[in-house]
Amino acid sequence: MYTLSTCPWCRKTKQFFNQHQIPFEFVDYDLADEATQDKIMRELDVEGVKGFPFVRIGDQTVEGYQPERFAKLLGIRSSTE
Amino acid sequence: MNIESRKKALRHFFAKLVEPMGFKFTPDAELAEFLLEQEVKLEVKHGVPFCPCQPIRRDRSRDMQIVCPCIPFHREHFDAMKRCWCGLFVHRDVTDPDSLPQMSAKEMGIE
Repeated sequence: MYTLSTCPWCRKTKQFFNQHQIPFEFVDYDLADEATQDKIMRELDVEGVKGFPFVRIGDQTVEGYQPERFAKLLGIRSSTE
Repeated sequence: MNIESRKKALRHFFAKLVEPMGFKFTPDAELAEFLLEQEVKLEVKHGVPFCPCQPIRRDRSRDMQIVCPCIPFHREHFDAMKRCWCGLFVHRDVTDPDSLPQMSAKEMGIE
């Protein structure tokens, strides 16, 4: 997933994966070096993504904090509370 | 810069800007405080209070579209969600911000 350290929805997304014990990799875009930022932006421009968090699950992508969609794609029961 | 006093100033300034557009601050006070604090920190770093949930691209024309409140640049999308992307602002009739989706414009059928 691509996230921002300043974004509460990105934090919630990481919490969701942690709570469900789903291993994940992430890059905080704002803390990355410029070359990494440029690489991420090229990737996101292809997807038409404008806001964070951006999550890739298999061959599917999710823009925004969408716990029900995460759960569906991961094949788990959603429990966001 | 004193973060608390700047947060208060931004709150005052933003309220006047978003109210005529039909928006208000989210009733989730904790979320609003967190987001305002991030914006003050972004303002200290970059000179303007960028949205904390959208990427700064180092492209001035695009980056100016994510300066808070960025509602005018994303009006149709935000009106469809009844919130802005980071959730600092919601439509004035919203009482339960947790019920609002955070979805791309494409998913909302706008683009």
